Amino acid sequence: MVQRRPHPGRSRARWLGFSAAIAVFGASLTACVGVIGDADEDTTEQESLVLAAPALPRLTAAQYRNTLVELFGASMPKAPLEDDTKPFLFYNIGASSTTLSEFGVQQYEESADAITRHAFADPARRAAFVGCEPAAPGDSCVEGFLRRFGRRVFRRPLTNEEVSRWVSVSQTLADPSAWEGLRLAVSGLVQSPHFLYRVEVGAPDDASPERRKLTGYEMATRLSFLLWNQGPDDALLDAAEKGELDKPEGIAAAAERLLDDPRARSAMQAFFRQYLDLGRLDGIQRDPAAYPYFTPTIKDAMRREVEMLVEDVVFESRGDARSIFSTRKTFVNADLAALYGIEAPGATVDTFVPVELPADGPRAGILTLGAFLTMNAHETRTSPTARGKYVRERVFCLEVPAPPPGVDTTLDPPMGEPKTVREQMEAHRTNPACAACHTFMDPPGFLFEHFDSSGYYRTVFEGNLPIDSSGDLDGKPLANARELATVLETEPRVGRCMVQQLYRHAQGRIETKGERLALEDLASRFAGASFDFRTLLIELVTHDAFRYIGEEESP
Amino acid sequence: MKTTPLSRRTFLRGAVGGTAVALALPTLEAMLGARGAEAASTGPIFGIFFWGGGLPWHDGHGAPQAGHPDLWTPSTTGKDYAPSELLAPLAPFQPSVVTGLTPHTAVPDTPPGQSDGHMRGFMVSMTGDRVRPEGFDHPSHTLTALRPTLDQYVAKHPAFYGPESPRFRSLILGASTARFHDYGHWNAISYNGPDDLNPPILDPGQLYDLLFGVAADTAGLKRRALLLDAVMEDAKSLSSRVGAADKQRIEAHLEHLNAVKNRLDFSGEACAPPGKPAPNEDLLAKTEIMGSLLASALACNMTRVFSFMLSSPATTHVFSNLGVPNDFHATVHEGTWEHARAGIMYQMQAFAAFLGRLQAVVEPTGGTLLDRALVFGLSEYGEGYQHSVAEMPCVLAGGANGKIRRNVHVRDPGGNYSKAHVTMLRGVGLETPSFGWNGGETSEAFGDILV
Repeated sequence: MVQRRPHPGRSRARWLGFSAAIAVFGASLTACVGVIGDADEDTTEQESLVLAAPALPRLTAAQYRNTLVELFGASMPKAPLEDDTKPFLFYNIGASSTTLSEFGVQQYEESADAITRHAFADPARRAAFVGCEPAAPGDSCVEGFLRRFGRRVFRRPLTNEEVSRWVSVSQTLADPSAWEGLRLAVSGLVQSPHFLYRVEVGAPDDASPERRKLTGYEMATRLSFLLWNQGPDDALLDAAEKGELDKPEGIAAAAERLLDDPRARSAMQAFFRQYLDLGRLDGIQRDPAAYPYFTPTIKDAMRREVEMLVEDVVFESRGDARSIFSTRKTFVNADLAALYGIEAPGATVDTFVPVELPADGPRAGILTLGAFLTMNAHETRTSPTARGKYVRERVFCLEVPAPPPGVDTTLDPPMGEPKTVREQMEAHRTNPACAACHTFMDPPGFLFEHFDSSGYYRTVFEGNLPIDSSGDLDGKPLANARELATVLETEPRVGRCMVQQLYRHAQGRIETKGERLALEDLASRFAGASFDFRTLLIELVTHDAFRYIGEEESP
Repeated sequence: MKTTPLSRRTFLRGAVGGTAVALALPTLEAMLGARGAEAASTGPIFGIFFWGGGLPWHDGHGAPQAGHPDLWTPSTTGKDYAPSELLAPLAPFQPSVVTGLTPHTAVPDTPPGQSDGHMRGFMVSMTGDRVRPEGFDHPSHTLTALRPTLDQYVAKHPAFYGPESPRFRSLILGASTARFHDYGHWNAISYNGPDDLNPPILDPGQLYDLLFGVAADTAGLKRRALLLDAVMEDAKSLSSRVGAADKQRIEAHLEHLNAVKNRLDFSGEACAPPGKPAPNEDLLAKTEIMGSLLASALACNMTRVFSFMLSSPATTHVFSNLGVPNDFHATVHEGTWEHARAGIMYQMQAFAAFLGRLQAVVEPTGGTLLDRALVFGLSEYGEGYQHSVAEMPCVLAGGANGKIRRNVHVRDPGGNYSKAHVTMLRGVGLETPSFGWNGGETSEAFGDILV
């Protein structure tokens, strides 16, 4: 029988690292904020960077598809794959820690078969794809192609043993033709774990024996998956071959090239979608009778709006990345213009236009836009707790712990005369067991009470009850979400949280205690660059923490 | 961990070694042999039917839940009990039920939140153990199991299938696509072990293709199977280069490749396929469709183990057809008892429809699939209003080839949930001296139910 135990050595390091990170970034927090970890957790300052053992991420479904579309063309069949998991928000973390199911492996097999059948079905297409015509199974045309193509698939040159393995396969299975043998060899390459998993072994570092330096090809892979969300192109592999990725300057130059490419934009949008937890929009439903502005197309529009805003800040205006939480600039289609009650000439359901939200209006920054307001509310009422929790956890990277055991986590259902959500939640404040955490979450959440469960601005509650949107942040009283936006404009925790989340996404794991100096360093470099996100990316990819790995712990 | 022989044939490996061995296909066919129709089986079937949202709460769940009638617990115990309101839909199938059960498994204080019923109740009822404390994070709802869930425990138990495993060791299915989170535990109930989930197939078309979609080109299928030998060689070279934890993931990948390879080898020999179903997102209709396909697969012995997730733990399914406006997780949280009652009743009707598909298939022996099966019906906790793990539901439907006494109600207030596990495991013929961990260990079975 199969009985798996938790990973003995490394997982402990991984999870302990998680608690340490919270300890670092949560230095000035109230008692409510949890430091999650083992009792023997040591929180003393780390003197120097201690690198974590490498993860072995499997390609996410998006990375698999993006990479293969690049190699086989956009008409490639898109067979279903196993859903990725995203513990701690990030697919890359799921990809480094979860095991693929048997059905997931079968789906890889079916996908590879479908893709290669498509690529080899048409004689003209396959000739263009391979670049020569095999005269016999396993001939020089076949071998040359497998070498060339294999380098792109494995993200490094194939070893001689590998070449001979795949050439043999193309011969053994060449029935009825050399083409069919080659097709199957290609299908095998894209099912190989050397394609499906990102292997990082590194090379010994003479200067410090406790760490290993990633090879040029491994760096090319890291860079490409972070900045393009797909495997490296030939130019990047060539740079690796020439040794250009062995030095920070070469890495920076390569990264700048990748960032100038449109593929970087969708990769960064994918990061921000996860960091901002926009996937939760998918499950949202609203009754159109109760929320007339919640059109069937508006959920997609809400997500697109945030993506465009992020793209503008990161790539176009290259402003202070934290300004996504405070800017009056946004991008709306016709659905969103109606929801926000603003003029947006030229906007249709499919066309987004840039707009400046009114200076005297209630909205500024993504916390006043549809996505945040909707996905942090219930179907029939708002949830100041969910909204406040998002501000704490997603914007500040603070941890709000679970309620203590035995605590009633429910609100009294509305009975008799209508009660506002705030009144219903009064118990959070008056019951000491609740208050410990809810006084941390609810007060910033109340600031959004003017926005209903679809993000629409309302002036009174149902039953004509007046709206009170006052709340506070860390005890500082605020009147509404606009005032919160002003605070977030210069809030130091916002930038550090971005650094922490980007780091987790880039590494595919929670930061370890030994990496806290790297996070501090990156946070200060980010601040030094006026929070230009593109500069942060360059600082990250040239940082020792990205270029070196620790030794694998023995079990 | 069990090691699976990776390949019964070595000629491709020989080719890899440098000496190219080109074999003509007729020879390959001869080597593979012709496998006849799946051998008829009379062995027991083990299945899980899971619904999200527990039961409508009542006094037995705790003081804050008081004031509502218990719609679950039958008023009489023993053989031929009087079915309660919620068990009435299942009455035609004469399920046995145990009421009053609760986890005896202890959870550590840190990380906090492990006592949350969603997670503790789920893990104990599905695995007999607690949530893995390492890496547990209540705020982001990140959690995993320590052990395989009962479906996988059975499917991988060496005594269950013996040396001849069927085409699928298990089928992992579900119906509702609503999910509390878009990862992990919250959209799947079947685990092989820590961080090792089996996501359910939720689409009838996908299930149909898996079971009955047979490619006409059987020689092509054989070549695809042979190709996997080379893929496995590649995987092995990788396995030696990574650390212990990742090696385990690669080895699991290898085992899966081997299973897929065997399946490709055996393709083209399926039973007469039923008609391909049309898509249907109505939960009840979809349950019937999935149940029908599953019954066809069981009838021709493609597998003897399944799990069916009607809705996920903490499901956010919106039962708008019942006039329930909020998602079900929010509904039970908010204490809307009548809505909880409606949602659970509907899920029991779906459970009945599912069992009906198994009962409808009469086998050559004269019995039905349900006579041969033991279907474990459960949810993640007692109720969702307070996440209480008191009075958790536990249904044992089907006869397990006469090893499970049907239509019996056993009342065991505060009883250890793992007694049900011991009963079921012994019921499907697995020697089980004890089951349960971390305080939940027990060697007791329910003698009134286990024959």
